Amino acid sequence: MSDPKIAGDFLSLLAERKLLPADAASARGAPVQTQATTVFAFHYAEGVLMAGDRRATAGNVIVTDRVEKIIEIDSTSVLAIAGVPATAFEMARVLQTSFEYYRRSQLQPLSLPARVRALARLLRDNLPMTLQGVGVVVPLFAGVDQSVCPAQARIYFYDPLGAQFQAVGHAASGSGAGAIRSVLSFQERHGAARPSQMNLREAVRFALALLITASEFDSATGGVNPATETFATIKVLKPSGVETVGDQQQKEFLHD
Amino acid sequence: MTEEPYRWLEAMANRREYVRDQLKDGSPVFAVSLPDGILLLGVGGGQSKVFELFDRHALAGLGHPADIEKIRQAAIDAAHLESFTRAPEDVSLRRLISFGLGPQLKANFEQIFSAPFLVELLLAELGSEPARDLLFRLHFDGGFQVQSGGVLLAASQPEAESAGQRWLNESLPGKTSRPEIVDLLLQAWWCQVRNKWLAEQMPDAAQRQAGWREAVQGKVVEIGWLQRDGPRPACYQPLTLAQLGLQAVA
Repeated sequence: MSDPKIAGDFLSLLAERKLLPADAASARGAPVQTQATTVFAFHYAEGVLMAGDRRATAGNVIVTDRVEKIIEIDSTSVLAIAGVPATAFEMARVLQTSFEYYRRSQLQPLSLPARVRALARLLRDNLPMTLQGVGVVVPLFAGVDQSVCPAQARIYFYDPLGAQFQAVGHAASGSGAGAIRSVLSFQERHGAARPSQMNLREAVRFALALLITASEFDSATGGVNPATETFATIKVLKPSGVETVGDQQQKEFLHD
Repeated sequence: MTEEPYRWLEAMANRREYVRDQLKDGSPVFAVSLPDGILLLGVGGGQSKVFELFDRHALAGLGHPADIEKIRQAAIDAAHLESFTRAPEDVSLRRLISFGLGPQLKANFEQIFSAPFLVELLLAELGSEPARDLLFRLHFDGGFQVQSGGVLLAASQPEAESAGQRWLNESLPGKTSRPEIVDLLLQAWWCQVRNKWLAEQMPDAAQRQAGWREAVQGKVVEIGWLQRDGPRPACYQPLTLAQLGLQAVA
């Protein structure tokens, strides 16, 4: 994501109305921001699959192709980060500590609505950085709702100000999100294999294909390349908890 | 009272006697280091005795529930603060007890105008290998002992605790199966609560097994398992007798 603004969002509206404060990111001497994209989540037959490429960029420079953008917060919640990793990793650390602290000290897990709002609060607290254009984070969150029987995995997406929305079928964030959203929407409505009915193998193959597609249209998205052992970060969230689909498993699924 | 050394010593002795008397019916707790993790066990009559503290740390205790709770909360607060300020790998039971819980318990015990903590505790830290496992025995007066691996027992009376510890040290080596270990710990628990250690003739294995199965009726057997090389940072998981293939009813 080379531009911190996201098409159609609140920041773009401020710019359009000439209400955007001085852009610190473009000021002379401002550090070049490292940014992370692309992440997405969709429902598959057994729960939610969340995936992201591993590229971090600063302007047109590729900083690394080994970033973990899908972060396990605890055994029943996963965070996908898009935007500035410096802020996003710190948010993940705050969430990890506070969720586990609550569970251990109160002897019960934090409810899903409370988890969703905890992330919203962190985004709201980050508003000054967001408005200055140096710390925008637009994450996705997936958690298991234990209040229904049987428990169900749910997906939430946010805007940079902290508004939270539940995604019915899928959500995506980052500069490659546009392409991914289009494909996901098409596949869910018209595809022969609908994402929500895919098994794990099909869902992982589909996720890898989505990332490859996104990387063809977005230079900031790393994509997947088995020849260089470059894979995605993929985690699946089932009612029983989080599981990681490692590089080796992705390789096997791709070659099937 | 405090200006006269003799009366202060007498007050300390009275407090020690008072605490031991209050704890005398406490149900003992156990911790065992095994090749693939650390197992903690307690038998409660409605109150919890085994708790997760942090990623690789757990606590088991006997005593007044409110006092156990205060110490549990203090340990959880300190561990999470350390983890957030530095890193989860920096959370160490040795520092937590040496510089935190131990001195606090000692200071409280010596404050003769405040109520003492009515607790006897076991704390466990999972290492990267069994030789690095640490088991701590923390007393109500802040005194503590540490050992690497092995088995540790916390009971209300020192003599019975020593006898139980000796029996466990002799009985457990070579055993690594969790159901077998839990069965042995529950035999030890039964001997402890029925004062069998100091009896003239020790009950045989069949009597001990029948004894614990009958004695846990109406009680909760709590088993905490710190799994080494687990899939996520938080290694603790609660287990039940049924999960281990054991039955309370013979």
